[in-house]
Order: sequence, then structure tokens, then C-alpha cells
Amino acid sequence: MKLDPRALALASLNASASSPNAKWSFDGAHPFGEAPSAAPVLRYRLGNGLTLLFLEDTSAPVVSYFTWYCVGSRHERPGKTGLAHLFEHLMFNETETFKAGEFDRLLEENGAESNAATWVDWTYYYESLPADRFSLAVKLESERMSKLVLRDPQVASEKEVVANERRYRVDDDVEGAANEVLYKTAFTKHPYHWPTIGWMPDILGFTPADCERFYKTYYAPNNAVIVVVGDVREEAVLREVRDAYGALSSSVIPPEDCEPEPPQRDVREIEMKKPTATEKLLVGYHGPALGDADHAALTLLNEIMFGGRASRAHRSMVIEKEMASEVRGWVSTFQDPGLFEMYATAREGHQTRELLLALDREVDRVRRDVVADDELVRAKARLELSTLQSLESTSGKAEVIGFYELLLGDPCAVFRRLDVYRRVTASDVRKAARRYLRDGARTIVRVVPDEEDDDEMSEAAQ
Amino acid sequence: MSAVPSRPPPASALLDGGATLLVEESHALPLVSIVIALRSGSAFDPQGKEGLARIVGRMLRRGAETMKAHDIEDALDRLGGEISIDLSASSLALQAQVIGRNLEPLIELLAKLLGSPAFPEDELARLKRETQAEILEARDNDRSLATYAFRRALFAGHPYGRSSLGTTSSTGSITQADARAFYSRHFARANALVAFAGDVTLDQARVLGEKLLSGLPVGERIADPVPSPAVTKGRHLVLVDKPDRTQTQILIGGLGTWPHDDDHIALGVANAIFGGTFTSRLMKAVRSERGWSYGAYARLALDRQRQSFSMWTFPSATDAAPCVALELELLQAWVDRGVTQEELDFIKQYLIRSQAFEVDTAPKRLHQAIDIEILGLPKDFHSGYAAKVAQVTAEAANTAVKRRISTEDLVIVVVGTASDIREGIEKQIPGLVETTVKPFDAEE
Repeated sequence: MKLDPRALALASLNASASSPNAKWSFDGAHPFGEAPSAAPVLRYRLGNGLTLLFLEDTSAPVVSYFTWYCVGSRHERPGKTGLAHLFEHLMFNETETFKAGEFDRLLEENGAESNAATWVDWTYYYESLPADRFSLAVKLESERMSKLVLRDPQVASEKEVVANERRYRVDDDVEGAANEVLYKTAFTKHPYHWPTIGWMPDILGFTPADCERFYKTYYAPNNAVIVVVGDVREEAVLREVRDAYGALSSSVIPPEDCEPEPPQRDVREIEMKKPTATEKLLVGYHGPALGDADHAALTLLNEIMFGGRASRAHRSMVIEKEMASEVRGWVSTFQDPGLFEMYATAREGHQTRELLLALDREVDRVRRDVVADDELVRAKARLELSTLQSLESTSGKAEVIGFYELLLGDPCAVFRRLDVYRRVTASDVRKAARRYLRDGARTIVRVVPDEEDDDEMSEAAQ
Repeated sequence: MSAVPSRPPPASALLDGGATLLVEESHALPLVSIVIALRSGSAFDPQGKEGLARIVGRMLRRGAETMKAHDIEDALDRLGGEISIDLSASSLALQAQVIGRNLEPLIELLAKLLGSPAFPEDELARLKRETQAEILEARDNDRSLATYAFRRALFAGHPYGRSSLGTTSSTGSITQADARAFYSRHFARANALVAFAGDVTLDQARVLGEKLLSGLPVGERIADPVPSPAVTKGRHLVLVDKPDRTQTQILIGGLGTWPHDDDHIALGVANAIFGGTFTSRLMKAVRSERGWSYGAYARLALDRQRQSFSMWTFPSATDAAPCVALELELLQAWVDRGVTQEELDFIKQYLIRSQAFEVDTAPKRLHQAIDIEILGLPKDFHSGYAAKVAQVTAEAANTAVKRRISTEDLVIVVVGTASDIREGIEKQIPGLVETTVKPFDAEE
């Protein structure tokens, strides 16, 4: 019998492990491409629960190191909203080994790009480095997974930074403010009700103790997935990650306490006044979760209605009737059912009332008639192009791999989705339209110009 | 200090009629990027016709031969192709990306758009109306309000001071004859560059490149019409007045660098220390120590002539005045006392090692080569960058800052609610020559 070289290498590596926590187990190879022969994403698990996904990519002498944590704003509770995001900021501060500022400094000194993102379901941190600097990412990320120091001056100053980020992205941004109100109104029980950045009073009210509690709960190896893509070798990756994380203990992740959103049975309408020259309309229909069978069909429907200049809504509202300067749609890619959002900006002299009528005509059409074959072909080609575009860099690949691992448990689901898109029929699209685009259960946000120069804030946002 | 392993530049060749061909092969993904760049741009917009270059670029997809705008859009989508116009003061480029298997039919389509645009009257009228709506929409974005106001004040009367979008009246005055004249002059093989990156070979690219330009005349290479910009003397405050702002957008700066300056690299190195990274002086003082602004950056813009130096922050309205004072202090200290050896050693490592991410994908490698050709940069601008950075001394960096960066001649732009912030900010600007308050929705 021929022995598997990977199993042999792993056995030898595990023989030098200091504890059961530091032993790797191999959890499958998944072709990263549509052909079974594509280079594989390898999944390994450490004894303490840490998941590692590795894809060797020698196309450039760089490596991307993503650390995904299964924690987002959905894990917060009322009164403490925005904690996951504030925490993302705090993770760049002091640790037991590195004083404040040293983390970024070390990364920059080594030519690394780094950043982080928090959303409703997850948080990630990444470094992209010259490949020969791989060890630095391992050292820094393992350090801040367990040895972050949370003190008051940093927490206070970071709260100010986040408050300013909120002003920038929401309070003084027409679209950001409207989007926040859409989710706040469409969701009443589920945590998608509050914005990831948090409500302003909550942001300003956090204490170091809040942060410490959050850190101890969610920042642990068994709540994290590390994705490595780049010009580094499997053996070195396994050894270095094991040496850095093997001594960390797993934590008890509390069972999630999310209320499912009850079915919306009414139309909810909000009007906001903002200093803007033109009216804006945002409509949200409750949609499927990313993992639901209908998600692909609804994504294709979104492409047919809103994807590019040849899409139905663009053609009718922007080009032919010239009532809108922009139309957009998005089916949220969340773990739980989110929204199918539709957004339109009115041209000067046009009102949201007309925009809504025009959108409704398009919605009626897709519910009534099947879409044309050619429209479906075009939508599929557009989605194939955008998928390829997302995979151009090592960081793009690492992000896609981590995202699908976290949400669907499959690091290569992006290719599965491409295949599903190809099989979606016009009938599937209409079925999805009928199931989700329900007039009696939608949320409508209208933004109208505030003609007065007084300090009137949106009533809805209060 | 390790530098990025050097790799050969994109392959180049000359096409019929004098167009340059650049090819960066990468077969990692079944995806091809195509760029057709012209020595053109918004700096060529005639006075009173600002926005013309952009309109000509955008009209390409609105009718060609017998194809109507919607036929073109349908065809693009069907191929899994995407096109966009990338416009700057000194360049007009048609950029495309397509799924590898559809490269040839996409090239046929692009050749038609480039060689036989129809400039239909109804589409031109529609595009003008769309542009005017965009001009209105741009007022929702405080950051772009700040950027436009800064450029207008710093480069008053100079092509760099104009918006490539144009104004409501300038775009309104553009005719089909204007578009055709601009097109005839600029869209010529001798004035073009064709570039491919991705899943394509040099031999393929030669054939496809010729096909792409087959509808264009040879024409001639066009010289840059832009003079070197003059200095605006003194400290000028421009307040872009917008109601209900809880936050401000602040740009402070003056003239910056020119790629052919002998101290261009040294100034860039000094600027990276001052405001180019997350641990820079500006970021540390404004964000890390005070939490005043989510971001704080200093930037040297690059073009064929001398461009701007600017600091960008966006503090809350209540922190705006102290933030302006702090930035002016930091600027003065940088110019007076320069950078330290320790800072210099640090930034060199960052700048040299991070070059890896300037060249980690085929399209990025290609764009470096395109910039050299179109902006007329020194041939070793990118390939020699790391070696030149390594040679910069503290003295050279500090001399460059003193020589190029003025603390006296400054434009200070603040977007915010003027009645709340004007007095406080004016008090923080010693030697202020004048304050101009402009309503955010004023037509320029």
C-alpha cells in the first residue's frame, strides 16, 4: 500500500507537538476552481479548535493572511451595539508584548498591507506581506488573539475615532443614513435591526470592562478561521501556525441568542429630510439567507433588474424615462435572511413617488412573466466575470475562501455558486420573484431635500 | 533590506501607425484586461466646454456603425465583458475586462466603438442631461466637494483647477461637432497605446492590437497643452457652506511635486513619513493621540506638470478649528525641522518592501508601464524606484521639503456649516489673507 506523503508529514509534525492542543488534523482538500484538478484549498484543524485553510499560490512573491472570527454585530445586544466594530479598532492597540502603535509599525516596516472589517455576521483582520515576511503575520495575529491589553485611554480615544467614523459614514452621508433606517425598520427582533457601527450613545458608553468581556468570549482559536494564500510552503505554514497558536486554550462560545425575524405583514414607510438636492428611494423586501436554495435565483434576478446599463431598471428609469440618475439593487449575503435592497436617486424635478411606481412596474413584470433567455445568459456572464475579478489577487482569494467557509462551511463555494447560477432557469427566477417580492411586506425609505437651514434631523433615525 | 525580486517589464512592440503595444501575460485566471490609452484628457477641454473629454469617452458606447447604445450594452454583457472610461487631466483610457474565452469577439466590438463611433444626437443630448444630474448628485458627497474646491482654489485659471465633469452650463454647450472634432484629433494610432494583461500571449496580442486600432487613422502624437501651474500667494481659506454638518472635510495644501524634479523621490519619502502611512506623524497626532478624525493623510498628486501637496482630515465640527491649528503646526515643524534618521530608516523599509503590492497582479504591472508612456515619466520611474529610495539621505529629504513645500502659500478648504465653524477656524490661521464662503450648491 502506498502511504500518503501528507499523512506522513503530518505524523512527523505532530510527533513534535507540545500538547494535544497543538496537534493538527487534516480535514480535506477542496479544489479551488471548477476543475477537480485545480490547486486545492487544504483544511486543517488544531487541537484547540483553530481552523486553517491554505492555498499555495506562486503567481507573485506575496502572501495574504486572513483571520476570520465568527463574531459580528449579530452577537451584540441592545444598549451595547457597535461593540464588535469598536473591538476591531482596539485590536490594533497594545498587547502584552507590543506597546501601542508597535503593531502597525512592525507591519509597515515589513512592507505589509493590513486592514480589518466587521459586519453583521463576522469580523476579519488581514495582512498581505512580501512572502518572506510570513512569520510576522503569524506572530502578530496569534499575539492579539490572546494578549490584547484593554486600558482606558485607548478605549476612550478609539471611541472618538469610531464616533467620527459614524459621522462620516452615516450621520453626514445621505445614503448611509437611509440604509441604516431601512434595516432598523425592516427588522424588529433580529439583530440585523441595528447597524454594525452601532448607535452613537452606545458607542460613547462603552467601558474597558465591556471590551474585556467581549474579548474573552469571542477571541479564541475555536472561534477563528485562518486563511493563508500565497507563495509559502504547506509544511512551514503548519509548523509556524502550530508553534504560535498551539498553546492557546479554546473558550466556551455561548450559544447564539438571536430571535428570528417574524414575517413582516405590513408596509413600513419612513420619510427622512436631508440637505440634498434630489430625492432618494430605498425599498427593502425580506430575502433569503446566503445558504438558501433561492439565493442564487434571486441574485440573478437582481442582475437582470439592476446589473449594469442593459438591466431593466437602468434602461427604463435612467435611460428611457430619465427620472433617476442611478438605480441599484443588492441581495444581502448574510447568514440569516436579509433584504433584497433596491435604491434609486431621482433626477431633479422627479419624486420618489414616480420612482416607486416605476420600480413596481419592473417588480410586477418579473412576477408575471418569465425573463427572456438572453437576459438570463447576460446575467450569468456578468456574474461569472465579477467572480473572476474577485480572485485576481492573493487577498481577494483569501477573502472569498474565508467568507464562504464561515457562512457556508465550504471554502470553495464560490465555484459551486457559479455552477448553480448556470443551472438557474427563467422559471426559477420568476418563482423567487413571487416568493420574495411581496408588496404587502416591504419597507420603503424616502429621502427628501430639507429646504430649511435649521438643524432638523431625521425623525426616523431618532 | 530585501527588495521585491525584479521581474521583466511587460513585453512591448510597435503596432502599425506607431501605437505602442504592451503585454503582461498571466494565465492564472481565464480573464483578460485591455487598455486603450490616449495622450488626451480633461486638460484638453476647450475653455467653456469643460467636460468634453469625458463626454467623448462616454459616447463611445452609445452608438457605433449601425449598433445602437442598447445593442452595445447587450453585446458586452453577453460576452461577460465590461468597459469603463478612465479620465484624468492627462489621459483618456478605455479599459475593458472580459472572460478569456470571449476575448476575440470583445476585440471586434471594441474596434467598432473606437473606430466608428456614431455620436448620435439623441444619445449626446441624453448623456448631457445625465452628466448634469451627476453634477447635482456630487453635491451629496462632502469629500468630493472639498476636493473640487481645493483644486479650484489652488489651480485657479489652470487646467488642473477644472472639474473633468464640467459644469451645468459648460456641458450644456457641447455639440455633436465639438465631440467629433475632439475625437478626430485625439483618436489616432500615433497617439494611442494598447495594452493587454492576463490570459493572452504576445503573438495573440499583436494581432488583436492591430485589429483594435484598424478603424483609426495614423494621425499624430499630441503634445501636452498644460503649462506649469503658478503659486497662489498667501494663506486662503475657502469655506464650502453646507447645512446640518456634524462633521467637516478639511484639505490643506499647496503645490507639490513634478516627476522630473531631481528631488521627486526624496520629497515622496519625506511625505510618507509625514502623512503617508498609518503610523505617520499626521495619523499619530490627529487620530491615534486625539481621536479627532477617522483618517489623516498627506498626499502628493502626480501628473505631467507640478501637482498638489495636500493634507486631508475629517474631524467633527467641534474639533475642526483645533484640528486646523494642529495640522498647521505639524506642517511647520516638518518644513522647519525635517525628518529624523530613525523615521527615514523606517520609511525606507516600508516603501521598498511594499513595492511587492504594486506589482502583485498582471493589471497592476501593466498600469505601471502605461503610466510611464502616457504621463511621460522617466523610463526607470518604477523599476528604479526602490534603489532610489534606498539612496535618499535625511539631508536630501529635508532639503526637498524646504524647497517644495510652502507653509506661507496655502489653500485651506473646509466643508461644513459655516456659521458654526468660521470664526473658530479663522482664529487658528495666522496670516490669513482672505476667507471665501461658497454655498455647497453654487454653480461654478
